[in-house]
Amino acid sequence: MPTIEVQRQVLPILGSPNQGARFFNPELPSSEPFVPGHRTCAGCGPSIQYRMTTKAAGDNTILVGPTGCMYVANSSYLCTPYNVPWAHTQIGSAGSFTAGVAAAYEAMIRKGKWKGAFPNIICEAGDGSASDIGLASISGALYRNHDCLIICYDNEQYANTGIQASSRTPYGGMTTFSPPGPKVPEAKTLFPKDLARMMAAGHPHCYVATASVGYPIDLMNKVRKGLNHKGAAYLMIYTPCQKGFVYETPRSIDLGRLVVECGLYPIWEWNPEKRAYDYSFRPQNMRPVSEYLKLQGRFGHLHAEHIAKLQNFANEQWRMMGVELPEALIHAADAKNLVNMAAAVEAETVAQTL
Amino acid sequence: MPTATEVKKRTVRINGCVAAAQAAKYADVDVITAYPIRPYTATMMALAQMVANGELDAEYIVADSEHSQLSIAHGAASSGARVFTGSSGVGVQFAYELYSPISGSRMPVQMMIADRTLDPPGDFGSEHTDALSTRDMGWLMGWSCDAQEAFDNHLMAYRIGEDPRVLLPQMVCQDGFFVSHITSDVELPDSGQVKEFLPPYKHPYPLDPRHPVSHGPQIMPEQGPPLQLERARAMEDSMAVIEQVHDEFANIFGRRYDPWIEEFMTDGAEVVFFLQGAHAVTARFAIQHMRDKGLKVGLVRLRTIRPYPTDRVKEVLSKFKVVGVVETNMGLGSVSSGGVLYSEVCAALYESQQRPLVVSFMAGMGGEAIVMKEFYWMTQKMMEAQKQGKIEKRTHWVGFEE
Repeated sequence: MPTIEVQRQVLPILGSPNQGARFFNPELPSSEPFVPGHRTCAGCGPSIQYRMTTKAAGDNTILVGPTGCMYVANSSYLCTPYNVPWAHTQIGSAGSFTAGVAAAYEAMIRKGKWKGAFPNIICEAGDGSASDIGLASISGALYRNHDCLIICYDNEQYANTGIQASSRTPYGGMTTFSPPGPKVPEAKTLFPKDLARMMAAGHPHCYVATASVGYPIDLMNKVRKGLNHKGAAYLMIYTPCQKGFVYETPRSIDLGRLVVECGLYPIWEWNPEKRAYDYSFRPQNMRPVSEYLKLQGRFGHLHAEHIAKLQNFANEQWRMMGVELPEALIHAADAKNLVNMAAAVEAETVAQTL
Repeated sequence: MPTATEVKKRTVRINGCVAAAQAAKYADVDVITAYPIRPYTATMMALAQMVANGELDAEYIVADSEHSQLSIAHGAASSGARVFTGSSGVGVQFAYELYSPISGSRMPVQMMIADRTLDPPGDFGSEHTDALSTRDMGWLMGWSCDAQEAFDNHLMAYRIGEDPRVLLPQMVCQDGFFVSHITSDVELPDSGQVKEFLPPYKHPYPLDPRHPVSHGPQIMPEQGPPLQLERARAMEDSMAVIEQVHDEFANIFGRRYDPWIEEFMTDGAEVVFFLQGAHAVTARFAIQHMRDKGLKVGLVRLRTIRPYPTDRVKEVLSKFKVVGVVETNMGLGSVSSGGVLYSEVCAALYESQQRPLVVSFMAGMGGEAIVMKEFYWMTQKMMEAQKQGKIEKRTHWVGFEE
C-alpha cells in the first residue's frame, strides 16, 4: 500500500504586543472565514471570538459546531456566516465529531484520496457542551491526540436556551436555573468547574491555554499555537454574553479585560514539552472583583458576604499563579469592608417575578 | 499478510463477526470506530489485528462511548471517508441520538449490529430489540442468517448506501452468537471482484476546504418538512437500487439473494412462519421435519426491514391461511402486546383481498434457541387457528403456555 506523508500547516505567531491592543495591526490576515450575516446579539462575545479565531486560522480550515449559540444564532438556513466548511453536530459530540473529521483527513491524505496540507480542524463548543454534556467526548479527542483544536467559548451559561446555569457559571451568577430568592440569596451556590486546568492535568501531552476576547492578539496567537501543535490542543476563551450577563453592549471587550484584571479568569498556557504552566501573562492592572461584578445585572443581587467569597476565590487564583497580593485585595476579601450591591433588594424583587 | 487489494478467492471457516470485519477490509474502509460490548466486539478485535498487521490501512479509533463512536463515524463520513462502526444491545441505544442526524445529513455510515438483549437483565443473548428500536430513523436495515450472508450484506450495503440516489446509512444486523459466534464456511472473493462491484466512496458535498459547505444549519419550521420528505423519498428510491445491486452482486459473485424475502418450502404450505435472522436456520430444519410428517408448513424470512417491502409482504403472505410471526423482539404494550413485527405484517396485509390470520409468537427471547418441539407447538397453534377460522389470541409467549 503506498503511504503518502501528511503535510501540516505552520502559522506564524504575531509579534505585536498583546496587552489589549486596540489599534490597527498590519500583521493581521485580511481573510475573513467568519463573515457578517448571522443573527447573534449586539456585542456577542462568542461571535467576536469566532471572528478572531477563524482569522488566525485562515482558509484551509474546517469548523465543527456542536449545538449552542454559535450554531443556533449563526446558521440560519441558506445564510451561514462560514466561508470555510462547517458542520453542526450534537451538543454532546464536540470532541467525537471533530475526531472523526481529523481521522478522516489523516486516512484520506495518507491513502492518496485527498491531496493538500492537513486542514486546521477547529471545534467551537460552548461551555455547556465543553464542561457538561460533551466533556467525555472532548476528553476522548484530547487523549487520543487527534490533530485538532477544541475551543470552549465560555460564556458561563447555556445562553441560546434562555440563560441556564452550566458548570462554568460563576458563584453568585443569576440564571434562570439559579435565580436568587430569600432562601438562596446568592443565586448560584457552586463555584465553577476548573475546566481548562482539568484538561491540562488530564491530557498533559496537549497544548492547553486560556484566553479572553479582551486580549485579541494573545487569543489569536494561542489559536495558532494550538493549530501548530501536532496533536490535540484546547483553548478556553472568556466570551461575555450581553443577554445573560446583562451589561451595556459596547462593554464586551472591557469585561474581557476586567475579568482578567480582577483575577476571576486566570490567563495561562500549559506547555506540553516542558509539562509546566506558563503564568507569565500579566494584565496591566489588578482590581477588586466588585469592579467587574458591578457592571453586570446577573450579580446585582449579591450581598457583601457573597462579594467577599468571590474576592477570596479571585485571590486564590492569583496565588495559584504565583502573584503577590496587594493589601487592598486581601482587605476586599473581608465582608466587613464591603457593601451590598446597590441593586440587591431590587434584584430579589425582580427575581420573584420571573 | 495480504491486503484486500491483492487477495485471491478462497473459502475460510469464520464466524459472523469476522465475516463482517472481512467485508470492511475488502471495502478498504478509512475510519473504524470501536467501543467494546459483547458480542459484536469480536468484529472490532479482528479489525484491530488487521490494522496492526498492515493488512488494512485505516484509522482505528477506540471511542469513549457508543455516542462518540457514532459521532466520530458521522464526522469522518462527512469529511469524505468510508466508515465502519458497530455495536450490540444497550450500546446501540447509548448512541441513539446520532441515528437521525446521520441519516438526515445523508451520510452513508455503515454499522454492524450483533444483537443482544437490552437491560434488564444483562443477558448476552440475541434479541432484535436493540436495532429494531431504531428502525424508523432513516437507516437501511436488514438481518443476515449466517456468516456468508453477513459478509455479502455488508458489501452490498456499502454499495447501496453510497449510491448517489440513496446516500443513507446502513445497519447490517446479525443475531448475536447464533451468527456472530458460530463459524461456518465463507467464500471470500477475489479482490478484483470487489473492485468491480464497489466503487470508491465519493460524497457529493464533503467538508472540504476547497469547496466550503455548511452541514446541518438551524432552519425555520417550514424548511424542515422538505428535508424530511427528501429523506423519506431517498428511502423509497433506495428500493430500486437495492434490487439492482442484488442483481449485480449475483452476476459478479455468483450468489443470488432475493433482496426482500426468502421463501422456504412454501409450495403447498397453508401456514407459514415469518421471521428475521438466524432462527431461519433452525426453522428450515424444523419445517423439513414437519413436512416429512405431512404438515403443510413453510417459512418466509424477511431480509430487509427498512425500507419495508410492503407490497412483497402482502403479495407473498396473502398466499397462506395463517401467518405466525416469530418476533425475537420486545414491543411492550404494542398492538399485539408482543413484538413489533406483528404490526408491520398486519399493516402490509390490510389492503389484501385475501388476508391470512396473523398470530404473534414470542419465541427465541433472551437468546434462547427455538427448539424443534416449539416449532411443532407453534405450528399446532397455527393449524388450530386455520381450523377455527380465527386466532385464539394475538400473542403467545412460547414456553409459558400449555
